[in-house]
Formats: sequence, C-alpha cells, structure tokens
Amino acid sequence: MSDVDTRPGAILKNNLWTSNPIFMQVLGICSALAVTNLLTNTAIMTIGVTFVTGFSNLTVSLLKKFMPRKVRMMVQTLIIAFYVIIVDIVLKAYLPEISRNLGPYVGLIITNCIIMGRAEAFAQSNDPIPSLWDGVTSGLGYMGVLMVIAVFRELLGFGTLFGFQILPDAFVPWTIMVMPPSAFFLLGIIIWVGKAAMNREGAPA
Amino acid sequence: MNKEGTLYTVVFIFIVSFAFVFLLSMTNQATIERVRLNEEIARQSAVLSAMGVEATTVEEIREEFARIASDEEEGLFAGRIDGRTVYAKEMSGSGLWGGIFGFLAVTADIQTFVGIEIVDDNETPGLGGRINEPWFKEQFESQRIPDDGITVRAGEADPERGIVDGITGATATSNAMQSIINRTVEQFRSPEIRARLEELAAQLASGGEV
Repeated sequence: MSDVDTRPGAILKNNLWTSNPIFMQVLGICSALAVTNLLTNTAIMTIGVTFVTGFSNLTVSLLKKFMPRKVRMMVQTLIIAFYVIIVDIVLKAYLPEISRNLGPYVGLIITNCIIMGRAEAFAQSNDPIPSLWDGVTSGLGYMGVLMVIAVFRELLGFGTLFGFQILPDAFVPWTIMVMPPSAFFLLGIIIWVGKAAMNREGAPA
Repeated sequence: MNKEGTLYTVVFIFIVSFAFVFLLSMTNQATIERVRLNEEIARQSAVLSAMGVEATTVEEIREEFARIASDEEEGLFAGRIDGRTVYAKEMSGSGLWGGIFGFLAVTADIQTFVGIEIVDDNETPGLGGRINEPWFKEQFESQRIPDDGITVRAGEADPERGIVDGITGATATSNAMQSIINRTVEQFRSPEIRARLEELAAQLASGGEV
C-alpha cells in the first residue's frame, strides 16, 4: 500500500538521519526555538514529544480501519491532543517544577507538525507496531537535534550543562544564546553540517 | 454499513470523542488531589521563603507553615521569625509576557523588606526569568524601604538610596518588579490591610487558633 521501507532499521535510519524531521524536513521548529536554552527542559520536552508521537501513531494505525476518510484529520488531532494532555497532567502531578518551567510549551506539542505529519504520512497506511516505532524514532530524531542545540545554548548562555557549572566563573555568558534567535543560527548551522555530511555520503540532497 | 456515510461518521466521531474524553477525565480525577497538593505546597513554601524561613521537605514546609497566621482569602500572612514579627502578602502584576505572581515579606513597621519570592512568571528564560535567581531575590533581604519606594535598575545597585540591581537586557521585567513591589508596599501601608495583619499577629501572640 505504501512504498515506504518499513523494516525497523530503515525506519530508524530514515527518521534519525536521512529525513530527520528537524534538519531535513524543518518541521516543528517553533518548539526547537522556545525550549532549547536549558538541557533539562529540553530533555523532558522531547521525551514528551517522543511519547506523543509514538502513541498517537500507534492509536491512529489501530483505528485507521474504522476511520471515515473525511474526518480522519479531526480524529488524528483528537488523539494527539489526548496524549498531550496526558503528558501535561503527569508533569503537573509528578514533576511540578519542570511543569512550571515548560509552561505553555507542553500544550503546544499538539501543534507540533511532526506528530500530525507522521500520523498522516505513516500511521495512516501502516500496521500498528511499525507505526509505533516510526513515531518513537521520529521523536528521537527531534530529540537528537534539540539536545545538540540545547548543549550549545546552555553552555554558552549560562556556562552550565544540566544546571552544573562547567565553564569557569570568568566566562561571560552570551546573552544571545539564551534568546530565541540563537536557536535559528544554531539550527541553520546544524542543517548546513548535516547536509554537507549527507552530500559526502552521496545521498541525494 | 457505509463507512463514508453521514450516520457512520457521526456515530464514529461521537464514540471516539466520548472514549478519549472519558479516559482523560479519569486521569485528571486520579491526579487532581496530587496536583492541588503540589500547588498548595509550592505556595506555602514561597510564603516561608519570602519570610526567610528555611524549609525544604514537604514535612518541614507543613510544620513551619502551621506556625504562621494566615488569611488565605486576602493573601495575608503574619509570623514570628527569630523573635520579630514579619508580615507577608501576595503580590501580582504584569510582566513582559504575562503575569508575575509571588509574595513579599516586610517587618512589622513596614520600613524594611524581609524578602521576596516569585511563584509564577512568564518572563524570558535567562533574561527576565532571572528574577527567580537567588542574587536578585537576596538583595531585598534587610533592604530599607524608602518612602517613595524602591528602584530596580541594572548596574546601579545602591542599598543606601533604595536602588536594587535589576537585570541587564530585561528592563521591562526590572520595571515591572519595581512597580509590583512598590504597589504591594503601598497596600501593606493601607489602614485596612495593616489592621488585618495586626489581628493576625495578635493571634500569634495569644497562641490562639488560626
């Protein structure tokens, strides 16, 4: 039914590298800009996204046989919103501190284009287990890039990593790294480096 | 039954919505008590921290909070800390992106700050958000309150003249803090609030039920 290679290894490589949602498809970058100035927040946020992408893909795939075509996007949104609210509730109940730090961004996972993109492009036409795997690996692809951005932003913006002081006190933090524009610069650099590496591999860019 | 027909579509949407909303309300119901408790603890911990009381674990916070007199409706608190009476009050106002909410504690004569604590803000993380950092909050400890209010300005800290250090690159947040704090001090000085605080303090002295 689809021409997508559904072997687990192929999905993994595809989502982490050759069509990485962030640096190849440039999807979901609003949150990439917003939450990447501290590693801890980035980690929790991307784990949340991975969870939502994985399970919404699984659920969409399970329900696809019963779904009337004209309302499928509505149902996908409903499913995604469901998992996002679950993540929000769990954070509020068990990690109140981080929930406060992330503020509105958890709710905004709903609007992350990666999730609906995967539901539409993969889960809608594949079996549940590969769909779950596709969702999880897409989330990991997102996590990978965001964590790299966050390492640079936190290190240069605060001199810390995961809140631990790394750079000496004499280091003057770069305020720009804390602000959203720096994520644009870093994302641009990552796309450049990624594409360059891919060209060397001989893959079609 | 025709999967693309109107009846099927309506029934399908109804069942799916019902199922998911039902599961969500179950989850919410299961955690609601915990969430409320977290919020209460965060609030009590903030009041204590503004008053300069150290309490980290949940038990310590509960125990210490039980020792101060509070009027939750008005957001007013009175406590005896190290032998002196300290008042605390909710403070709130608008910051750069959204509301700033916290507590301000002063001495009983409302001439000196005891401390401040921020509970919730939406300031830029790393810029305005630095009002949450200890160096910013510690400036208020034992800072005298000038008659015309304090000034929050980056790089010009002068405790003698009531100027505390603001945040470079976050002028809007610094100004917001200045006006929120000064407004709260004025509220502290209003006769009704003072009277209520004195009542609370009297409850403490008499050891009566709060």
